[in-house]
Amino acid sequence: MKQFILAILIISLLFASDQIPAPRQDHPILLKDVTIHPVSGPILTQGEILFSDGKIIEIGHRISRLPENTEIISLPGKHVYPGMIAANTVLGLVEVNAVRATRDFAEVGSFNPNVRAEVSYNPDSELIPVTRSNGVAIVLTVPQSGLISGTSAAMMLDGWTWEDATLKMPVGMHIRWPRMTVSHSRYVRKSPEEQKKERDKQLKELDEILDKARAYTQSISAEKTPRQKMDLKWQSMVNVVKGELPVFIHANGVQQIEAAAEWASRQKLNMVLVGGRDAWMVTDILKKNNIPVIIEATHKLPARRWANYDESFKTPLILYEAEVKFCISANGGAFQAAHQRNLPYEAATAAAYGLPKDEALKSVTLYPAEILGIADQVGSLEVGKDATLFISDGDPLEIMTRVEQLYIQGRKVDMGDRHKILRDKYTEKYRQLGLID
Amino acid sequence: MKTLSIIFLVSISAAQVKPVDGLHDNTPRVFVLENGKIITQPGQVIDGGIIVIRNGIIEAVGKKVFVPADAYKIDISGKTVYPGFIESYWKREDKKPSSLNFGKEKKKVKPAPVTNHWNERVHPEYRLINDFQPKEKELETLRSLGFTVAQVVHNKGIFRGQSALIHLGNWHPESVIAENGPAQIMAFEHGSWGDKGYPNSLMGTIALMRQTFYDAQWNHNARTYYNRNRDKTESPDLDRALETLSAVMKSKLPFCFETNQELAALRVQKIANEFDLNFWLKGNGYEYRRLNEIKKMNTFVIVPLDYPETPDVDSWEDALDYDLEQLRHWDQAPDNAARMIAAGIDIALTTSDLKKRKQFHNSLLRSIERGLSKDDALAALTTIPAKKLGLTNLGKVDKGYTANLVITDGDYFEKKSKVTEVWIQGKRYMIKEEPVHDVAGKWDITISGGLNLNATLELIQKDNKVSGKLVVDSTKIKLKDVENEAHRFAFTFPGKDLDLEGIVRLSGTLQNKSITGSGIAPDGSEIKWTASWTGTLEDPDENKKEESKKESSSELTPLFPEGAYGFAEQPEQAKKILIKNATLWTSGSAGILKNVDMFIRNGIIEKIGKNLKVSGSDVYVIDATGKHVTPGLIDAHNHSSAFAINEGTQSVTAEVRIYDVLNSDDIAIYRQLAGGLTIVNILHGSANAIGGQNAVIKLRWGQTPEGILFKEAPPGIKFALGENVKQSNWGDDNTTRYPQTRMGVEQIIRDAFAAATDYAEALGLAGFEKTFSNLPVRKNLELDALVEILQGKRMVHCHSYRQDEILMLTRIAEDYGFTIGVFQHVLEGYKVADRIAEHGAGASTFTDWWSYKFEVIDAIPFNGTIMNEVGVLTSFNSDSNELARRMGKEAAKAVKYGGVSQEEALKFVTINPAKQLGIDPYVGSLEKGKHGDFVIWSDNPLSSYSYCEQTWIEGTLYFSTERDAEMRKHISDERNMLIQKILVSDDKGGEKSMKPNGDSHNHFYSCTEGGVH
Repeated sequence: MKQFILAILIISLLFASDQIPAPRQDHPILLKDVTIHPVSGPILTQGEILFSDGKIIEIGHRISRLPENTEIISLPGKHVYPGMIAANTVLGLVEVNAVRATRDFAEVGSFNPNVRAEVSYNPDSELIPVTRSNGVAIVLTVPQSGLISGTSAAMMLDGWTWEDATLKMPVGMHIRWPRMTVSHSRYVRKSPEEQKKERDKQLKELDEILDKARAYTQSISAEKTPRQKMDLKWQSMVNVVKGELPVFIHANGVQQIEAAAEWASRQKLNMVLVGGRDAWMVTDILKKNNIPVIIEATHKLPARRWANYDESFKTPLILYEAEVKFCISANGGAFQAAHQRNLPYEAATAAAYGLPKDEALKSVTLYPAEILGIADQVGSLEVGKDATLFISDGDPLEIMTRVEQLYIQGRKVDMGDRHKILRDKYTEKYRQLGLID
Repeated sequence: MKTLSIIFLVSISAAQVKPVDGLHDNTPRVFVLENGKIITQPGQVIDGGIIVIRNGIIEAVGKKVFVPADAYKIDISGKTVYPGFIESYWKREDKKPSSLNFGKEKKKVKPAPVTNHWNERVHPEYRLINDFQPKEKELETLRSLGFTVAQVVHNKGIFRGQSALIHLGNWHPESVIAENGPAQIMAFEHGSWGDKGYPNSLMGTIALMRQTFYDAQWNHNARTYYNRNRDKTESPDLDRALETLSAVMKSKLPFCFETNQELAALRVQKIANEFDLNFWLKGNGYEYRRLNEIKKMNTFVIVPLDYPETPDVDSWEDALDYDLEQLRHWDQAPDNAARMIAAGIDIALTTSDLKKRKQFHNSLLRSIERGLSKDDALAALTTIPAKKLGLTNLGKVDKGYTANLVITDGDYFEKKSKVTEVWIQGKRYMIKEEPVHDVAGKWDITISGGLNLNATLELIQKDNKVSGKLVVDSTKIKLKDVENEAHRFAFTFPGKDLDLEGIVRLSGTLQNKSITGSGIAPDGSEIKWTASWTGTLEDPDENKKEESKKESSSELTPLFPEGAYGFAEQPEQAKKILIKNATLWTSGSAGILKNVDMFIRNGIIEKIGKNLKVSGSDVYVIDATGKHVTPGLIDAHNHSSAFAINEGTQSVTAEVRIYDVLNSDDIAIYRQLAGGLTIVNILHGSANAIGGQNAVIKLRWGQTPEGILFKEAPPGIKFALGENVKQSNWGDDNTTRYPQTRMGVEQIIRDAFAAATDYAEALGLAGFEKTFSNLPVRKNLELDALVEILQGKRMVHCHSYRQDEILMLTRIAEDYGFTIGVFQHVLEGYKVADRIAEHGAGASTFTDWWSYKFEVIDAIPFNGTIMNEVGVLTSFNSDSNELARRMGKEAAKAVKYGGVSQEEALKFVTINPAKQLGIDPYVGSLEKGKHGDFVIWSDNPLSSYSYCEQTWIEGTLYFSTERDAEMRKHISDERNMLIQKILVSDDKGGEKSMKPNGDSHNHFYSCTEGGVH
């Protein structure tokens, strides 16, 4: 009962963010006198970009024929970039990680292929406006638990309902690869033998799951009686075994990555590697198997005491040089859901340590779009793509830069957020006290 | 191994009080050991000597000595005699301690005597002998290694009690040499996170040790005072622990501290210095890493030979998880004893810490093979411990010494040698039953009767097991069912190769290398046979094997600290440094200067200006054209570089000190240097309202804990408020510790200061009204720290989130007349910035963390800049050993959220935290007279694209990308070399391989370290 009251209290406190979702774009907009960073092509200075009905119509200089009602916005000194994409987070599935009632990202059990992230994405989460304020327009919201966690969805950070916000679902089937090495940590209670046993059991389980999923797939397509009864779990695996839905395998250790790549190749699955802490050691395997990598955070400690201090800063550079497809995400943990706005700085650090700057920018825009299979709509500024873009006073990878306006599918997003409201509220306090102007 | 002890007599009559049970036993006790090689003491050998033993005492030793007529002669030709070895630290690893139980083992125990110390880990008065019941098997194991005497120590507690000295013969009253032995045994024992008993951290243990030593002194004084003033004084509590301890301290008896790694030895020294203790160390095998420091202690170290298992590096992936430090330890550990001896440290060797005690001989032989001298090893087993432990008449084979001897079948310090017997107090203990007959070799055998045959027998004998072949011309027939016992020899063999269907059985009697016997052929007919020994069998493989197995001492020398990125030699200060043509972010009144030079002499900034002229060839010139130079960055809130962070057992633990547990070897130091950080405020965690004392360190990588301390920094202490303190997120098991609400937190803190005030008044400190007290006032480390706060000498760093609690604490402080130093985190500081400014506290905040727990849902990234604008001295901190590497860029968030200038933003991580820590007279800005702590950046330090190229502290280069690149190359080469060495070596670590450290070091430190979020 006590917990229930607490939950009610919290829910009422956090019920809805104060920002109002933007209406559909109802007139064409031209941004002019801006520097346009299409990401997919060369930078246009003194450029113009025209979008209408949520789509980019034209990019260039002095666009001659403007549709009727075009709103012309001149932005000298400003820059336009495609909205950034955070490719690995539980944003929308958690509000305050320490408060259990607000945690919705980990279903119980080890085999949950059927759970879908988008259905419990809370469009009124206070975390969402805070995140988009810094130019992050789209997130991949990922369930987290067990061996097979469920399917992720690409969510646009604006909308009245989760359905409004969904850009694509499902994006991938998320698998958390078993730990391959024995942990000797004092926090791990299981003996080395037990750990190995468990690992081997899980590896076997992964193969068995695919066998059964294939059997189910065959059974539902066979013209026979009696009809195969619906099984939600196997049903959700059908597109995986058909190779239509990629598996997003979360793996960090080098042995995990090697094993996962072998498994996906043997099982003929379409694999994306998520995490990839040690990916830089096995770029040949990744390249050979055509496995893209969502590098989870550059802002993390080196994996081993003897490793280079800049190991994680340089991982993107090494993948880039080895011609492995990659993008950069922030930490996907629940603690970091509130901090996805710092995504561009993860990429910037890679650039500080050698990755070309334009690659760093792509690694949070175009590359994640490609890896998530949404590049036909977002990730770069190209005619025909969504007008999901933002205006800033400089390079968004620089912390000092400010993002001024975000458009998602041409909709002008409310740039307010909880932080700005509280800032304004207490600035007013000090104004009343005469402490500031 | 089967051992057999032959007891020549049951009791020693002289001191016998007990009535004789049955008949008197008067077996003669006079022996002569003849023809042995006698090592009387290290370096002294008598070949073919004689030892006369009478009633447990050595009566004579020498080449030619008088042999008394009543002595029973024992021929030990071919054997070597050593003085009986001394086990200097026999700690029995029994799981259930006899009369004391701690922690989770706790079951229903009898209530402790009322005179015991309040803390169950403090029992210096404990007499181990009362509960000591050695198992015969344990004694046999020690004897089989040559040990005849041991110092036995208790295995539980912090103050564990006096050690005892015993003989390792059959357990009898006369085995006890001293029940109140030479040393008080000490250990840094503590519970772990989640245990509710104090202490549950190393910090708490050290604080408890110190308080207990003070209490012992006080107890003595208080009792003395009471005895003189019984008419007007209450009696102080009777505490046997404190009484014992005070006596041990006064008599200057040694305290023997157990240590688990090299830095622990340095910790011991600090405690010993504080209380002027005579101390020994029970070592750990890592001493070689801090040899100079340990040498300077001029103490006695009891060293285990616990060498690491071999790393499993068969696959390159698995090899990754072994730290360089582990690989290097594998290579160097067996040289530890020899290096200590070479450094001139007095050591004794012990079997302690070995997973199996029997590994001792093998480990010792490895060290000998690597160059430990046999005499030194012998001394460490005999004369040195005898002297240190006060074992007069032991440790040598000499007239008048107790007849404790080790007899081996060869040189004890060579392979294949074995202890065959030991003598203890004149009693003989056979270690190994010698085979009745050694039948190994070639025999001519003649068989007649039912089978006629002349052939050769080839026999191999290992201990009592015999195997062999019957060689008939070129046919070799394997023998079966070979028996060699009770002077009889028997075997069978299949007749197939001799065209007989069935088995031939032969048996006979052995005497003087010949056998005569009979048998039965497969057809049932009788056989007669004889055999005689003709010579030994050659084993061609064995010698070769020995050759290849030879170990040699490690070619490595220690790094500072040991492992990757350690320095082979400590970097030295450049006496004169001239930085030319830099963009200098002074963080001082001069602002940002372009194209200027800075001159640093002896680690101090001497001059800043354009085109400085400094001549001399000894000037270290840095061309900083195009580079940005800033003060070394400062992190006002960090939890790395310490072996403990939270002593979370009590709500007030002001007595514990981070200073006591600094870990100068933490790789976090190097990584933070690589991000331009030079100074870090290491704070106690936030598990309780009044936590422990902080330590401000300079990141002088490679130095000792004492060496990294920023000595000029004023002392501070950690307070905490809110969810962590009231255990909101600790789970349902933690709902009873006071306080559980913010209301209670306020009361706990008030209560602490009320107690501190009473204490200060009792002491009559300046500024407090003296109150009358009868007994001498007990020194209280906890209250000392609180009084220092009241006196304004100790700065409060308070972990805080919500505005109500921030306001509350300023009110308490003002009620008690002091000012809070810094509100840490202070995520709702922006709501009460006017109050913080008015109170005069600083604020050190996260830039933009929020929403990870309920009390931070109102945290905003504008917090820092709003507080700054309203007039609060504000800094950004990391609270994370990862973020601490990127503080320059973190400062840029002050520009982003709040629009402060870049110059001002950098101050959030330079001069502002310096002011908050009270170290701004020395550091925090680049100005004349300040420390030469600076960072060279590739570009604007606030830019996301810049990186740190060099980090200097007081004119010493601690990090540079250039040297880092060299180190990487070296690390990679050395790993490869060591892995190759491991791969070609024999696996000497036993069946198990070394546990890799893996990513276990990779602990993300934050103030809730230990499990609270």
